[in-house]
Amino acid sequence: MSFDLALRASEILLALAFIQSSAEHVFGTRDAPLLFAVRGVLAVLVLFNIAVPWALIGLCLHSVVALHRYQGPYNGGSDRMGLLVLYCVTLAHVLPAGLISETAFGYLGIQVVMSYFISGKVKIVNPDWRSGRALADVFAFSAYPVSERLRDLANRPRQMMLASWPVIGFELVFPISLLWAPALVLALTIAFAFHLANACLFGLNRFVWVWVASYPSLLWIQGRIGLF
Amino acid sequence: MLRTLSLILPVLVPSWRFFKSVEPSPRVQWALVADGSPTDWREFRPGPAVVTPFEMLMRLFWNPARNDALFLVSLAERIVQNPTPHSINEVNKRILADLAPDQVSTGQSVQFRLVFVSRNGEARSEEVLYVSEPVKGGAK
Repeated sequence: MSFDLALRASEILLALAFIQSSAEHVFGTRDAPLLFAVRGVLAVLVLFNIAVPWALIGLCLHSVVALHRYQGPYNGGSDRMGLLVLYCVTLAHVLPAGLISETAFGYLGIQVVMSYFISGKVKIVNPDWRSGRALADVFAFSAYPVSERLRDLANRPRQMMLASWPVIGFELVFPISLLWAPALVLALTIAFAFHLANACLFGLNRFVWVWVASYPSLLWIQGRIGLF
Repeated sequence: MLRTLSLILPVLVPSWRFFKSVEPSPRVQWALVADGSPTDWREFRPGPAVVTPFEMLMRLFWNPARNDALFLVSLAERIVQNPTPHSINEVNKRILADLAPDQVSTGQSVQFRLVFVSRNGEARSEEVLYVSEPVKGGAK
């Protein structure tokens, strides 16, 4: 995937993610509706390729206001990833074309790889994750399961262990997928399914859309460093 | 400026340590205050008993209540680590907004507390780590 195509794909996917989350604020919770209406409009400009660099800079400024408004990210990790995609894409636009611009976009790809690898690393060193106990705890008492019925899964220790290991293994081997284009496509498909499962079971829908917005950076990096 | 930097830096250099361990998990409970004491503690915005697969799929695209509930979890964790008027007000604002006018009579106050649920050996353990000051109903 070429740099320009990857950058544009990230912009479009990020704009869609921002429109989705802005709509939830404006029409759903009605919390700070004006603030998020502005973000929605800026995202629409990016989506339709209108004054993109200025709209991206506007979104960056907006992010500072929103971070102050909520004294941090409103939606934890998904907001952080969304803003990381935004900052890297904006820098890739406004910095001089060539190596510097590519470095900004490449930094996003490196962070996406680390988001999976580090998550796997911190789990595999934890005996509770290796035994499935930690996943059982997530279902048993964490605030994440979307319904009370899902908490019953905590009573199936064998299934909890069988579910934990593929996740840990996938997260740890994810970086290797960068070496071969078909492997990366497969890895991103599995990652997408993983985020879908998290959205269905734990209500983390915004993670799906912002992580997908970061994937073009990986497809571009793979073309640069891939062996095959 | 320093505050802005402290908000942006974790975005630029994220830790990505998702679920390193499963920490005690907060529940927000609220109660009306009568004669200076909270009456009946109730869970604020309890989760549904069942969510169908179709609802799960729809929530990929429209999930405002759930995302606000997740923000409430963040607020509860922030309050226990470092209580600030901002976090406390955000919780109070949501509780008062959800109350119907007839649920809070004139002059009556509302209070919330944060109960952290964890596993202690094989047993489920609950601990109250924060109790708010009462706020008057209608003071949104």
